[in-house]
Parts: sequence; structure tokens; C-alpha cells
Amino acid sequence: MTEDTAVRRIEVDAAPTRFARGWHCLGLERDLSDGKPHQINAFGQKLVVFAGEDGAVNVLDAYCRHMGGDLSQGTVKGNEIACPFHDWRWGGDGRCKQIPYARRVPLRARTAAWPTMIQDGMVFVWNDPEGNPPPADVTIPRIPQVDSDRWTDWLWYETVIEGANCREIVDNVVDMAHFFYIHYSFPTYFKNVFEGTSAYQYMNGTGREDIRAARGGSSPVVLGTTSVAAYHGPSFMIDEVTYHYEDMDVDTILINCHYPIDSNSFVLQYGIIVEKKEGVSDDEAEQLAATTGKFIKYGFEQDVAIWKSKTKIDNPLLCEEDGPVYQLRRWYEQFYVDAAEVTPEMTDRFEFEIDTTRPNEAWRTEVEANLAARAATS
Amino acid sequence: MGTPAPRPDVRLDDGPMQSVTCTACAAQVLARKSSWDQTSVQWTEQALAACNERRQTLPPQERPNRNAFLGCSALKESIREAAVRGSLEIQDQDPLKTNPEGHQ
Ligand code: FES
Ligand SMILES: [Fe+2]
Repeated sequence: MTEDTAVRRIEVDAAPTRFARGWHCLGLERDLSDGKPHQINAFGQKLVVFAGEDGAVNVLDAYCRHMGGDLSQGTVKGNEIACPFHDWRWGGDGRCKQIPYARRVPLRARTAAWPTMIQDGMVFVWNDPEGNPPPADVTIPRIPQVDSDRWTDWLWYETVIEGANCREIVDNVVDMAHFFYIHYSFPTYFKNVFEGTSAYQYMNGTGREDIRAARGGSSPVVLGTTSVAAYHGPSFMIDEVTYHYEDMDVDTILINCHYPIDSNSFVLQYGIIVEKKEGVSDDEAEQLAATTGKFIKYGFEQDVAIWKSKTKIDNPLLCEEDGPVYQLRRWYEQFYVDAAEVTPEMTDRFEFEIDTTRPNEAWRTEVEANLAARAATS
Repeated sequence: MGTPAPRPDVRLDDGPMQSVTCTACAAQVLARKSSWDQTSVQWTEQALAACNERRQTLPPQERPNRNAFLGCSALKESIREAAVRGSLEIQDQDPLKTNPEGHQ
């Protein structure tokens, strides 16, 4: 057979047998430190998250080492989590501190405690299949805007995605074309940079008249967006988006993060804060955050429909106008091998800038066709 | 270990990354141009260590994603020059396939 007639076969490698090494955001501190135990299914296990009187947020394996009770069904007492079965008290360090009916606590009364970090209102947990503590240089950048009065508080969303591995969402960061077809944006500039444990996406977009008209309403018209997004580690993305309106620019910071439940489901979370611009009331800023949140939610729902029905594909066939899918996956691989097995090719700086001329021509034609079709029917 | 080795980009079958040396700092990188406006650059640790612009420290930004190195303008210019000279191929024009005589 010649190259032209041979059918290209989809290749699927074995799914990863472990979960990514790195900091994973579990949610907001304000939600998780309410003095109640929270069950979190993550990394193929059941965990309990709780904050005691000292305010520290702790993450423990949910199963009690006594007779297997589920600590996430227990009660926070003082700084400890009390098991619902026989009231054994477990501290945030994983040690059993007290058994109310026993003279003393047996030796080896220690369960798995996960390293945690509270930063900018979010709770992070460190996952490492090798069991090592987080290296000092593996960090999540600070977001000082969270504490500023000039920015709204976190608006936070959580959704469980069944039937997909979390690596599908990571592919998004390089997938320029899908932003047009799935997220109704119109990328005019697109560049990726991978270096170390971060993967950046620089994207500028213009408003889509066909979508704007369909959404209608009296909301102000977005002329375009400027976005700098980056994964810091395997699962936590910060996206700084500036919305350009006719009369002003509004800055927003979005979080897009996830943690794996198991190899075929994950929890997707996203959060938004919006700058309260001069001339924009607090109400308007909150409103904008809520509207943005709804739009993002809609976009993710469209992603999810694709993920659920698509196949895993390890040999994607790419055109020149596609982003660096292979190089992104090479970068992502660093989180799935032992720390000692991370190679320079996974972490060395790589830049990829797409020429958007041809995609933009095609998309402009499509937008015009949509507008013409709508004009014909109305 | 059990994890399959990362696969190379399928597009490199049609045109591999080629070596380019920065005229400012002599850093050696691999580059590929799909068109005049589309470039990919593979750095190494040595190249990054050699880069002048990389070493320039800018005032830290309050924004979480704005402290990253955006890229080297001297290298960008060197890559463009290499493309103009013809020592770096541009995939888009593909003169070798359509018009072998038109390309030295
Ligand atoms: S099983 Fe937890 S106290 Fe007995
Ligand atoms: Fe998407």
C-alpha cells in the first residue's frame, strides 16, 4: 500500500499506573476548614480533610488503623479527628493521640498523613508515589490579588468528571483550534512555553460576533481577550485573563485545577476573582465574575462531552496549525516517573508559536457564514 | 518503570528540528519553522545558561504568571536570519517537493 491509501491506526499505550507527583488543590480553605471532616476521594484512595481548633488543615487516610472505621464520617474533637466506630483520636501528623477507653495508645498507631499547604485561600495536598516530601523549589506562585480589597472573593465551582483520565484536560493547554470549536473563542495569537514544572499558554483572542449576538442581552460587548495561563505542576493552572471592552479593560484571574479520583475519573474545580475597576461597582464586579463563571462552566461541559466519547490516542495526527501536543505530553510525563527518572527532555525549555493566519481566515469565513445564516432566518 | 518513552512529534517526520546558533551569545538551539510566522525552539540547559537576555533580571511582577522569561529577541532574530539565508528550512514553502530546481 502507498502512504496515501494506508489507513492510519490509532495507538493507545497502557494507562499510567500511578498518580502524578505534585501539589494538588483540593478546594477552598473557607469550605474545608469549617470544623467538620470532609471526605475526598483522590489518588485512588479515600482521604479525610479536617481543621481542628488550631486552624491547621490536615489530610489523612480516611480508614482508621484500629478496625477500619471511616474517619470522614467521624467528628472533629479539639485538634483531632475522632473515629465514628470506637472514638480513637487521630492528629494531623497521623499519630493516634488518645483512645478514651484505653490506658495507653499502642505502638505503631500511626496512619498516613499527607503534606498540606494553604495558600491564597486554597488547600493543597502533596502527592508523591515515592513518598518523598515536597522539594522546597516546587512551589505554586502566589496570587497576592486574592487578599486585595480591589478584587472580588473567590467564586468557586466543583464538578466530578466520570469516564475520562485527567490527562485529557491537560491537553487543552496546547489545543488552539479547540478554543474556537469548543469554547467559542477566536484565538488570534497563540504560543506555548514549557520549562521545568510549568507549562505556559499565551493566547490573545478577538470577540466572536456570531456568539455575542446569540447570547444577546444588555451585557457590554467584549472586543477581545488577552490571556496568560500556566500549569504550575501537573494539575494547577492559573489563567490571567484581561477582557477588553469598548470603554475599559477588566482583569480576572481564573484557576483551573483538578485531582484524580482514580484513573478514569477526576474532580475538576475552577475559581474566579475579578478586579474591581474604578467606575465598576462591587455588584457589577461580582456579576461579571458570575457571568464569566457561567461561560467557563459551559465551555467545560462541552469539553466533558468530548472527553467522554473520545478515545485515548497516543499517536495524534497533527497539522502544522496544531499546537505542541507531543511536547506537552513529554513535559507532563515528568510527573509520572520517579524523581530520579526525570530527563532533561521533559523539563528543558521549549517554545512553540503558531502562525494563526490560515486558522483565522477559515474562522472568519465561518463566523460570517453563521451571521448570514442567522440573518436569513430572522 | 512501565511508562512508555515520550513519542516524537509526528510533524518532525516531514521536517526535523535544525540547529541554529544565536549571533549574540552563541547559544545553540534546535529550531523549526512551519512558516515565516511559526517557530518552535528547543533549548538545552547550556543554551539557556549562555543566553544574555535570560540573565537580565526584571523587576518582579505582582502577577503570578508574569515573572516567566518570554524568550530571547536576539535568538528570534538569529532564527529569522537563518531562515532568510536558507540554512533553516521553512515547511510552508516546501520548495524541495514541488520544485526541486528552485532550491539549492
Ligand atoms: S475503627 Fe476507628 S476507633 Fe475503632
Ligand atoms: Fe477545553
